[in-house]
Amino acid sequence: MELFLQTLINGLLVAGVYALVASGLALAVGVVGIVNFAHGEFLMVGAFVSYLMFTFAGLDPVISLGLAALVAFVVGAVSYYGLIRPILNAPELNQMLLTFGLSIALQNLALLMFGGDTRVVSPPYQAATVSFGGLSFGLVPLVSFLLSAGLLSGLYWFLGRTRLGFAVRAVSQNRLAPGLLGIEKEQIYLLAFGLSAALAGVAGVMLSVTLNASPTVGAAYTLKAFAIIVMAGLGNLRGVIPAAIILALAEAFVSTYIPGGGGWVEAVFFLVIFAALTWRSWRVR
Amino acid sequence: MKRASRLSGSGITIGVILLVSLVLPFLPLGRWEAFALDTAQFAFLISALALSWDLLARTGQLSLAHGAFFGLGAYAAAVASPALGTIPALLVGVLVAALSSLLLGLATLRLHGMYFAIATLAFSEVMRTFVLKASFTGGSIGMIVPPAFGGSLPLGSYYLAVLTLSLAVGASLWVARSRLSYGMAATRQGEAVARVLGVPVVRVKLIAFLISSSLAGLAGGVYGMKTLFLSPYDAFSLGRAVEALVIPIFGGLYTTLGPLLGGIILVGLETYLRLVVKDGYLVVYGVILILTILFLPKGLMGLLTKRGGHA
Repeated sequence: MELFLQTLINGLLVAGVYALVASGLALAVGVVGIVNFAHGEFLMVGAFVSYLMFTFAGLDPVISLGLAALVAFVVGAVSYYGLIRPILNAPELNQMLLTFGLSIALQNLALLMFGGDTRVVSPPYQAATVSFGGLSFGLVPLVSFLLSAGLLSGLYWFLGRTRLGFAVRAVSQNRLAPGLLGIEKEQIYLLAFGLSAALAGVAGVMLSVTLNASPTVGAAYTLKAFAIIVMAGLGNLRGVIPAAIILALAEAFVSTYIPGGGGWVEAVFFLVIFAALTWRSWRVR
Repeated sequence: MKRASRLSGSGITIGVILLVSLVLPFLPLGRWEAFALDTAQFAFLISALALSWDLLARTGQLSLAHGAFFGLGAYAAAVASPALGTIPALLVGVLVAALSSLLLGLATLRLHGMYFAIATLAFSEVMRTFVLKASFTGGSIGMIVPPAFGGSLPLGSYYLAVLTLSLAVGASLWVARSRLSYGMAATRQGEAVARVLGVPVVRVKLIAFLISSSLAGLAGGVYGMKTLFLSPYDAFSLGRAVEALVIPIFGGLYTTLGPLLGGIILVGLETYLRLVVKDGYLVVYGVILILTILFLPKGLMGLLTKRGGHA
């Protein structure tokens, strides 16, 4: 029973970061209409910002959060302005190829600059644990979860309560009408894409402590984020949180209860995608 | 008239490339011979992979799993070859790749193209994990592959590569001339409209996917018999999936000559880059991919046939 509860809590804590990464991707897909295969690379940018700040300036990852968000926002905005905007009306195949190319380029650029080693940011509190009623969990995952929950609440508040948020949702619902109402569509796209990257960048800082900063750290999260938004329905922001919880719990339970499960965890996201798609495809008929 | 003459022009180039590939082992290359044959063989297999990817792209679908079909074909052929012999083993590789694409296609091709692309990316990742974990593949250590035809023919695997390339070229040309090509083009340009026009959209995509993955599996099988050693990091590397799609785009989508020329040029470039920068050479592919999409969406073929509408 205790093992069960512990697994449940670990899974839920991970779900926070998953939801953060996937919400960013859902923004890019839902608002801009671009399937962004480079989403995980924005996360990697955040992780490396955290690593570089910690190693060369001695900055605590908590302080790097804002900077990483800013850097990722700029990288996202520049990517949008220079690469995505020219192909907004191109065939979908070309759009997906472009973001895939961006992913390959950024990933291998990082490989050339930093090498393939995994680097961990280890502040003094990295291994600290919090005990509560016989269960214990890491301080960093707990703080990451709370921070993710806070940021997601902020995102929902922004989209649901502010005029700019209304504009973002309007653009995601209809391509033509918002322009007639005086909403600058391109600026909204820029904002949404930058915001999407910034969310990934923040998640990258968290992962630089709990996991590592390496050129390929983002690739796995691109796939997990895709698994989540495929479950939620592409571009559907509301379904992201429950879907993130499902994926994270499935992974946690597989790694605890399946013998030799450590390796199969990496296959869970695929089963989730495959199951979601099969279900969807039978429902479509 | 113009169209006919252009078609025959690219036909002649394709013929010349295939002829050169046939006689290459007998040219006086001196001490470069081993290197030239090895590079050429690699270029042929990767070009065949690129041609197979292009076949599916003609229906507007983005496959990121061609590296996985290549790897599956390679491993299946390698596992089967001691018991069955070279040619049946290659057929087993083709079958395994085709069956996996059938499963993947049945689950995803009914849906929007985005879902298909995502599912193929996930599939290729999970296949690498599977081969790393499974016991009969040698895991991360890799496995030794018996040479083609028991090593009795020194040029055996070279000519298998030529045969694979010829099959891929043949399939590409045949599909372009068949009725299927209209269904593919209609599916690509607007699925809803194609459906209304009576095109069996899902079936067209599925057939294209099956032909495409079979060819990719064949190329993989021959690749294993060329390198004589397979590891998950090589056979299932992201590099294969990237090559499979950058080459057709660089050369020219929906053509036969484009992927062929693109393959020879880019594999040459890659062979050089690997010597210079080793790990990060894929960055060049990423940049080529981005630049081509932005500035040259019709690829090299677009440059060659500037005035000729869509090639």
